[in-house]
Amino acid sequence: MRLELGEIHISDIKLGDCSKVENGVLYVNVEELKALLLEDEDLASVEFEVVHPGESVRIIPVKDVIEPRVKVEGPGGVFPGMISKVTTVGSGKTHVLKGCAVVTTGKVVGFQEGIIDMSGPGAEYTPFSKLNNLVMTCEPKEGIKQHQHEHAIRMAGLKAAAYLGALGKDVQPDETKVYETSGVMSGKEKYPDLPRVGYVLMLQSQGLLHDTYVYGVDMKKSMPTILNPTEVMDGAILSGNCVSACDKNTTYHHLNNPVIHDLLEQHGKTLNFVGVIITNENVYLADKERSSDWSTKLASFLELDGALVSQEGFGNPDTDLIMNCKKLEAAGIKTVIITDEYAGRDGASQSLADADPSADAVVTGGNANMVIHLPKMDKVIGHPEAANIIAGGFDGALESDGSITAELQVITGATNEMGFNKLSAR
Amino acid sequence: MLLVTNNGKVREKYGPLCTVQFVDGGHTDVLTQVRDLVHQGHKLLTHPLAGSVKPNETPFRSVAMTEETGPLDLESLELVERALDVCRQFPPRFHRGEDAPAEMREDFAEIDFRLIDGALAPRFGS
Repeated sequence: MRLELGEIHISDIKLGDCSKVENGVLYVNVEELKALLLEDEDLASVEFEVVHPGESVRIIPVKDVIEPRVKVEGPGGVFPGMISKVTTVGSGKTHVLKGCAVVTTGKVVGFQEGIIDMSGPGAEYTPFSKLNNLVMTCEPKEGIKQHQHEHAIRMAGLKAAAYLGALGKDVQPDETKVYETSGVMSGKEKYPDLPRVGYVLMLQSQGLLHDTYVYGVDMKKSMPTILNPTEVMDGAILSGNCVSACDKNTTYHHLNNPVIHDLLEQHGKTLNFVGVIITNENVYLADKERSSDWSTKLASFLELDGALVSQEGFGNPDTDLIMNCKKLEAAGIKTVIITDEYAGRDGASQSLADADPSADAVVTGGNANMVIHLPKMDKVIGHPEAANIIAGGFDGALESDGSITAELQVITGATNEMGFNKLSAR
Repeated sequence: MLLVTNNGKVREKYGPLCTVQFVDGGHTDVLTQVRDLVHQGHKLLTHPLAGSVKPNETPFRSVAMTEETGPLDLESLELVERALDVCRQFPPRFHRGEDAPAEMREDFAEIDFRLIDGALAPRFGS
């Protein structure tokens, strides 16, 4: 498969009465977009605000972050199974509005989490502080249940990103990147001496606020399967996951998965990137056994020499991570796992809820329990009182001066387990 | 199937469908009860740690086990002991459901219900 990604660099977003992309500025017709989103009968209101890097703004609680994209050539459309039809994506040409994102906020449940600070020490921990963000505060109608509320906000974010992405369809990209993958046989013929490497991408799939969708299918109801790496760049995988801000994969993370980008970068040079195996993280233990058996079976079927496994979330998914690692290693496939740690505020406790000697090559996204102090921001978008009840917050977390003392896990993307972190030892 | 829970919402739906052991206590009490049942030969069917909701956040927990007993299942024991370790590492903010503010209590109960229901409903065809 061959996908051209045309990047249109966005330096600012302006709200007004016409929608277009001109000279790197994204103009948004607020009334038109609002009318589109309020077609959803579960939503009572949608408000928009634009925030820029370096501003004294805090967004809380963040649900999802989505990069606007549009299909320009080739089959299918972006966000298949949700916004576009289910046609297979990942080939042809896609335009990306680079440097901006749609951020959805709204309190689905009382303990929902996720902070993006656009400046100060908190901004260093989240990649989204470096983007021009269109923040959408979505409020549901009276009497809407939690799962309807989650669905309404999720769809609003995707619709808005697709609407904005479409504005870039006829715009000349500033930069074009080409991603080309090989078939199983042709890759072997082309790169006979390079190690065959695959990526096992674990997707959170446990229920309300913990779901991920692949071509519109709820991943907990799917068996592990194989994707071409470029499919994810067109939005084949979408986040419905609201829990554990620091190590959930937002839709933005999926679209820009750094493991996929780095493996494609090395494809044909130091390794032969054979494909992506997606698997789930379910509640039922037999499902965990079956899925880890299947991800290993697919890896063996592809005759992989090595695999990278990335996790999503903490606790229960640690079991899936270790099962995947153990079984892959037992099948003779050298395995590296990417995770994060809950090692206590002093960093002295065991980092994962599961372990095995075969997990001897580990990349960590950091300790989610580390305590940080986030100074007061001039402006707060969303529900600041959520700071007291989100994960890693504790009673008294929201100080009277508006500052927050909490664990790193409150920050969206802070210890991301795809390695999409801004801070690193590299 | 044996369902151990301290969540009234879970009891309401699954009470008529399987054996429910209702625990009048908090998250750790549920896991302690599950641990005791593992020692009596029941096996875990669902993971004792819930999704990505940390055990110190939510006061509710529901765990499915086999109704029949057999020899001690070491894998189940290891999983539940590790889950109890996590509870010790991160002491709960709300010991019992009633300790949480009313609005959050309902949300915690709903999430716990949804997580276990997602796993069990297909098996009961409900």
